[in-house]
Amino acid sequence: MPALGLVGWARWIWRQLTSMKTALWLLVLLAIAAVPGSLVPQRTADPNGVLQYFKNNPDGARVLDSLQAFDVYTSVWFSAIYLLLFISLVGCVIPRTRHHWIALRAAPPLTPRRLSRMPVHEAHEVDVQDSGPVRAELVEEGMRLLRRSRYRVVTYPEPGDPTGASQSVSAERGYLRETGNLLFHVALVGILATIAIGGGYGYIGQRVVVEGQTFVNTRAAYDSFTPGRFFDNSMLDPYSLTLEKFSVQYEVQNPKALGMATDYTARVSVRDQGSSQGHTSSIKVNEPLSVGGTEVYLLGNGYAPEITVKDPTGKVVFSDTIPFLPQDANLTSLGVVKVPDGLKSQVGMIGFFYPTQAVAANGAFYSAYPDLVTPLVTFNVYTGDLGLDSGAPKSVYTLDTSSMTQVTGRGTGIDSLQLTPGQTVQLPNGLGSVELTGIKRFASFQVAHDPTQGFVFGFAIVILVGLALALFVPRRRLWVRINTSKTGRLVLEYAGLARGDDPGLAAAVTDLAQRHRSRFTNRD
Amino acid sequence: MNAHARLWSALAVFSTGLIVLSGCVGGSGDDLTKVRPSYSTVGPVTEIARADRANPVQFSGTLDNGETASSTDWAGKVLVVNFWYAGCAPCRAEAPDLEAVYSEFKDQGVMFVGVNVRDQAGTAQSFAATFGITYPSFLDANVGSIQLAFAGTVAPNVVPTTVVLDREGRVASRIVGQLESRSILQTLLRDTLAESP
Repeated sequence: MPALGLVGWARWIWRQLTSMKTALWLLVLLAIAAVPGSLVPQRTADPNGVLQYFKNNPDGARVLDSLQAFDVYTSVWFSAIYLLLFISLVGCVIPRTRHHWIALRAAPPLTPRRLSRMPVHEAHEVDVQDSGPVRAELVEEGMRLLRRSRYRVVTYPEPGDPTGASQSVSAERGYLRETGNLLFHVALVGILATIAIGGGYGYIGQRVVVEGQTFVNTRAAYDSFTPGRFFDNSMLDPYSLTLEKFSVQYEVQNPKALGMATDYTARVSVRDQGSSQGHTSSIKVNEPLSVGGTEVYLLGNGYAPEITVKDPTGKVVFSDTIPFLPQDANLTSLGVVKVPDGLKSQVGMIGFFYPTQAVAANGAFYSAYPDLVTPLVTFNVYTGDLGLDSGAPKSVYTLDTSSMTQVTGRGTGIDSLQLTPGQTVQLPNGLGSVELTGIKRFASFQVAHDPTQGFVFGFAIVILVGLALALFVPRRRLWVRINTSKTGRLVLEYAGLARGDDPGLAAAVTDLAQRHRSRFTNRD
Repeated sequence: MNAHARLWSALAVFSTGLIVLSGCVGGSGDDLTKVRPSYSTVGPVTEIARADRANPVQFSGTLDNGETASSTDWAGKVLVVNFWYAGCAPCRAEAPDLEAVYSEFKDQGVMFVGVNVRDQAGTAQSFAATFGITYPSFLDANVGSIQLAFAGTVAPNVVPTTVVLDREGRVASRIVGQLESRSILQTLLRDTLAESP
């Protein structure tokens, strides 16, 4: 084995990389590599799911995170496969296109010396004496038949005849097969490029909206937002979406699935900039709403108790509907209320909400059913510094109690506050009062803008067309030769050669042979 | 993540190279500077030259005191619109500065108005009481019409965002994020007031 130099190795690697086999393997590998993305929550699509994963399984999550399993589609290994596939395809398509371009303009190949060696071959002796005019006529007839079957046709002088008068017919068809093949690959490259580049102009954002409240498509309004690389805030289409009503239907017939939600519907009102009236629409799970170049998906939902806090004089100092995040299937929910202003000290409350409150044997509360049957909110109250006045942003879903004092709940000697709808209870230390004014529902929406959709759809169609051409257009060569037998009669020879898989080749040769000598056979 | 970022920046450099190269062929290397000659963005502050301002922003809604108000109520004044909510820490940090600039300029044809994007009346009024805010705020959490009116090119992209409208109601400048010092807003207001009516 001769030693390969550096250039030799580079050339060998390049040839391996750009071979069709490697491209196919990379494609399969890409599909496999995408699988973890649907098994493990992804930071871009489900940031809370990732946090939850870390909470439930911190060790496993750390291992997965080091493997970038929470960012599969932007991970080093996924990108490596992606880029290699890209290079492989481009490196394969360019030389093949050049090759095909030359082949498209080249004449069909010289008639082989021995047609009997071709995979399909027929020879027929006919009862006609050889003569120059008959030969010319037969060549003409062969060319006509082949042309009509959309072959590219040429004649070549027979090597055995020094006068050059006798000729053979060489024909080729099915150039579209390779064209289709190339189209397929180019469109595949197109899809990869569209996703890699076009994805950079997209964005995904999440926002929790309580019934009766409105989300406006500006960057500030999102709870979380993942922009593409080339995204700019001014790309957000201005529209507003008001959650009018969120309805849930529960299974009430089947005792085994009692309380399972069977349908979620968010009735929304959408308004464009400049129009005073909105139009109503509905969003369901897997039935997103298309608005302003975005798709709005329904992600999750829960309860948002309406809390009113008054100071000791009875003046309302705080009123809000607070989304409580569901913790279990019966929607036991956890929420945080922050009252920064209006009381003699800042108040924070960590609350549990039970839509159908029940008491376990050990005295703990739990929710027995997800719908509102006997709703109850309990609060542990903290006073002190909410940490909002240092200027550093804080999550609305967590309460930093490091500078606060717990004044109700376990260890304080004062029971947690318990509130049913319409009920008011006093805060400790004469701070004021808290009322559970009502209970609303919230929906969390995912707003996604994907400018690649149209392009991907277009390329997918091209892929299918290219694949169909590459699979179903046979590429074959046919030849017709006129020989003389020992008795001076004509022997007509036909042969065919397929390039690639072609089950119709034998039939095509037989058909040509029959039609070409039909005037002799008819005479018989 | 880092390696990935590096990979992409390599690609970005490569494609930028391509764009630059193709730009050389056309001989129009100055195009980038011609795109937005009048939008000068220094840090979080965007100023828009008079000739390039978009149409006047028109809006109306309900204030925290229960009254309704509309942009036309302040026609002819320079209007400062501040997007905020009570639980927003940077909003709390900048509130005293906003009030100070307001009391300095309110007699010079300047009006301030807040747009509360998350709270209801009680919460908003308690905030105003804490910081001694004397200008009104729209309650926009339920309706969203004022955020919608400002959405688009020079949108309030974070909370807080402070927008200065000129006498004709067009966006003249925008401060994204917490007001870092009073002097920034003071300068913007002086510039806008200096424009001949």
